[in-house]
Amino acid sequence: MIRTAVSMSRITESERSPDVLEIEALVQRVLTGDSAAFEGIILRYERRVLTLAMKLLGTAEDAQDAAQEVFIRAYKYLHRLDIQKPIEPWLMRMTVNVCRDLGRKRQRRFNTFSEADTMEAPDTAKTSNPHTGLVEQQEKQLLWQALNSLPEKERIAVTLRDIEGLSTSEVAAILESSETTVRSQISRARVRLKDAIQRMIGGLQ
Amino acid sequence: MNGCYAPEVLALFIADDLSPAEAASVNNHVRGCEKCLKTCDELEASQTFVKSRLRPMPNPELLSAVRHNVLSKIQSQELTLGWRLKLERMLWACFRKQAYAYATLAILVVISASLLAQIHHTDQVQHLTAAVFDADGLVRPGAYRDWVFLGSTKDAESLHNVYIEPAAYRQYAKTGIFPEGTVFVRERVRPGGDSLTVEASVKDSNRFPGGWAFFAFTDGQGKVLMKALPDGNCRSCHEQKAEKDQVFTQFYPVLRLARMES
Repeated sequence: MIRTAVSMSRITESERSPDVLEIEALVQRVLTGDSAAFEGIILRYERRVLTLAMKLLGTAEDAQDAAQEVFIRAYKYLHRLDIQKPIEPWLMRMTVNVCRDLGRKRQRRFNTFSEADTMEAPDTAKTSNPHTGLVEQQEKQLLWQALNSLPEKERIAVTLRDIEGLSTSEVAAILESSETTVRSQISRARVRLKDAIQRMIGGLQ
Repeated sequence: MNGCYAPEVLALFIADDLSPAEAASVNNHVRGCEKCLKTCDELEASQTFVKSRLRPMPNPELLSAVRHNVLSKIQSQELTLGWRLKLERMLWACFRKQAYAYATLAILVVISASLLAQIHHTDQVQHLTAAVFDADGLVRPGAYRDWVFLGSTKDAESLHNVYIEPAAYRQYAKTGIFPEGTVFVRERVRPGGDSLTVEASVKDSNRFPGGWAFFAFTDGQGKVLMKALPDGNCRSCHEQKAEKDQVFTQFYPVLRLARMES
């Protein structure tokens, strides 16, 4: 059986790796009042949550707010987590919901590319030609804009599927939607993105 | 070429998002269709482009800031769990299965709601302490002269003193509504001090159609009765001429003043 990082199904006894057991122990400690144990959970998932938030919101500032909110909600509602299931999909779903709320509240998405820049590790050292770096930055900016122009549901679905690399069934589980709906959202988003990229590359050339 | 696949289908095809049967059919077509092949190439190129460009990596400072802020909020008083969450956690600890915990919560909510309704009802009907009923009717109120005196009218041979039960008076002063259980007593006395008749009106919508009932504690020969059944003679006048809720508030300035002061 293939099990990916965010598979939603139950973990059988034989599949309980030391990692899973450690997470279980951390969750139990938090639930019995040891709030410091929550740091262990944050350390394990902060990168994943923050990366997804950055991809969905586009700015480091918003992503930080979203990630904080996700972990605070997770702390509050940790008792609702079914320990027989992996914690990551639960956090991913929460991240998507928080980002959706935050995005709606602030009524802006991806519109501050200068900020989006700050959240990426600088890779200019890799390129000897500064012009190449500049073009890449421009491309990224236009790509964010293209993503931003997609309807919210399509944008989230395609981000999870194509950028996060989750399977369609995993995306459907996170979005609490059917696979058919997600497939349809992803297909439309891919076509729109292709058109936007073609226009964009034409504009850069 | 006719019969080309929609770009949306090809967008699923290039990322293995179609079922094996669908994929095989599209594959057969695409191999012989230049237009679809070109679309597939473009879609694949855009996929590669997106994946290669959009790889935001949070820097360590940002990760550290998130961790620090969350932990300090959790450990400070700022994030205190409300009683609902504490109760929920407790239930979850007892019942690891969510369904049981939800069921228990639902039962607790129903019980709480019933208790609250009971308390509310008790609060509403506690005014009925002045209106005691048994099989023979309303028991003549006892210490009504200790109640709130609303005023007096006069006929040729007697004074008509009107009293209201104090709890109902306070409630009316507060809300402008006569609560369920309100009791008025009208006592007719001779100027010399003899009590001639005692009448009462009681508001109890569950018991009486129209909300109110009127009682006379004297029989046709003037004999005092200790219990009385509703007397229909008073009703029509109260219904037609009383200013508010079958009560002649227009004649009781005490009630008006109480409302105004409240």
